Amino acid sequence: MTSNISLYTLLLAFVISSCTYEKAPEFAPEYLYNVPGETVIKSIINNKTRTIALIYGNDQAQQTARDPLLRPVAGAHYTLVTWKQKAMPQWYGTNMNGRIYSVETLKISQRNKTGFAFNYEFRPGQSYLPSDRRPEKGHRIHFITAQHAAIFP
Amino acid sequence: MKKPGLTFYKISAVISILMFMGLQIVSPAIENPQVTSKILLPIQVKQILERACSDCHSNESQLKWYDRLAPASFLVADDINEARSRFNLSQWDHNPPAVQELLLWEIVNAIEQGKMPLKRYQQMHKRSKVSQSELVILKQYVNTLPGRHKVDTAKLIGEPLRVQKGLNKRNPVSLNGIVYSSDYKNWKIISVTDKFDGGSMRIVYGNEIMVKAIKEGELPFPDGARIVKLVWGKQRQDKDGNVLPGNFQNAQFMIKDSKKYRATEGWGFAKFDGLALKPAGKSVLFEQTCINCHRLLTSQNDFVFNIPVK
Repeated sequence: MTSNISLYTLLLAFVISSCTYEKAPEFAPEYLYNVPGETVIKSIINNKTRTIALIYGNDQAQQTARDPLLRPVAGAHYTLVTWKQKAMPQWYGTNMNGRIYSVETLKISQRNKTGFAFNYEFRPGQSYLPSDRRPEKGHRIHFITAQHAAIFP
Repeated sequence: MKKPGLTFYKISAVISILMFMGLQIVSPAIENPQVTSKILLPIQVKQILERACSDCHSNESQLKWYDRLAPASFLVADDINEARSRFNLSQWDHNPPAVQELLLWEIVNAIEQGKMPLKRYQQMHKRSKVSQSELVILKQYVNTLPGRHKVDTAKLIGEPLRVQKGLNKRNPVSLNGIVYSSDYKNWKIISVTDKFDGGSMRIVYGNEIMVKAIKEGELPFPDGARIVKLVWGKQRQDKDGNVLPGNFQNAQFMIKDSKKYRATEGWGFAKFDGLALKPAGKSVLFEQTCINCHRLLTSQNDFVFNIPVK
């Protein structure tokens, strides 16, 4: 009987030692950002600021982003969501979006017969630090409207 | 209760010995097939992989006497067969260069996450353990591979509009019956990634069921959850550090149906390559390539890599 118990104990020890405890992931739904009424134009990685971004646009913004000359269209709405990069926990060799750094919006309207008005807003996100420099408005308007759409299937 | 007598122990011992001897007769033979093409690696990397991986992942297994002893030999033979089917350092050129590169990254990841070498193998082969400093060497090596800084822009110029108009009518079907659909364009984004191996950038869409499950922390993900990952190459980095998407490479689908896709942990996989959206894989077994990696590294995430986690 004693030998049987020892055998079972050994077998049990082997089975337990073969199993590895796997910690359940902690989801971060706060990294998600919903932009109603707009679809993705493209993603942008920035290796200097260690950020990753998505630029969204409504139909008019998409029209501009697909125009080789990038001509602005009145009524265009853009949203540029920027996250700090973080290493993907399960795969060394991939960075992904972490906490939101900023949300920039741009609305284009017709100012007069030939000109447009650009209404730009910058909203800091969870990972934006008070000491961080705010982006220059003119530079950001140019950056957002200069983006060609990625090639989608 | 009456204790068993000496005869009982004698008979038990004889039966055990006979069973043990019988097992040796049917014990699987563990052969080393011919080495056809060895992997070429820097010496330091080679030494680590040979010590940690070669016994199972090559045709140069150097087994101990007890590895060949049944019943352990059954487990050893099974592990070696499985290992050689995943990658074989002695038949390295059986894989195209891009796959070789991906396998090297997968090796590093499996080691980093403590999945490889197998715990039970390490218990019996103490030298197989890869130290943290050795892992650093492996990481440094994979970061020198060509895909890490690959720039992919050659075909981009002037085609987007024409190409897009021509493709929206098609609905290619994967070998396992998954139909390509562009519905995902109205789904929410669950992650955006910069992948070093192979040099790609990705946008990952999740349908309403998937997003709800993430928000509510529901695991395993419910049936009906769908994920679509769009993959592009990368353009050259500009002076401000921006990297923009290059050519479209593929669309990868994952569909949760715990009954239909039971053999692949409840997920149906499909990959549609290039702007022609050609279904990937030569046989339905292509799913195994997908699930092998997901099973090894993301079992705790219900086999999904691209979800927002802390």
